[in-house]
Amino acid sequence: MANRFCVSLTHAKDNQDKATVGFVVANAATGSGKETLVFLSVEGVRLAQKGYADDIREEGFAPLRELMDNFAKAGGTIYVCSPCFKKRKLDENNLVAGAAIVGGAKLVEFLSEGSPCVSY
Amino acid sequence: MSPGSPAPGAIDARWDAGELGCGDLVLELRARMESMRPGQLLELTARDPGARADIPAWCRMTGHTLVTEQHPLYQIRRKEN
Repeated sequence: MANRFCVSLTHAKDNQDKATVGFVVANAATGSGKETLVFLSVEGVRLAQKGYADDIREEGFAPLRELMDNFAKAGGTIYVCSPCFKKRKLDENNLVAGAAIVGGAKLVEFLSEGSPCVSY
Repeated sequence: MSPGSPAPGAIDARWDAGELGCGDLVLELRARMESMRPGQLLELTARDPGARADIPAWCRMTGHTLVTEQHPLYQIRRKEN
């Protein structure tokens, strides 16, 4: 059984339901003892900006900010797609805890070493 | 110069990749490394913020040696074959 788990997340406020569920599943993975990566790309990169997720709260789920904080505290890692981030002219000095801007090679390395990946 | 940096003159090729990043960066980097001889040293300038994580990962995956890294400067030694 793989010791790693990846959640690929492509949405932010354009689909708050998917953005929230992505982190719910990521927290399930960290809670299950997996080395867990959330890969943010396309619109999802907006979640990497401090404060952006503060007003996202889907009915039936904890607020997204709380889910993301818990993920970081549990040691989860967030990779932020560099070209997606640059395209949106976001601020690399204002990243949430646990987030790092990466290109494709870093994701390829993580997955190639053996990791299932679920996409939202 | 950071500790462990090769002496000036030991660099066999230089490439300023500018803002190139992600797949575009490593695809071109691969071609440039393949055009060099085993053991030769490439000095790469890569300003994309993702390069900090990507260049070390790319070297680990491809077997080339990352000699020094001081973003945006990276020195990479071509693997033997």
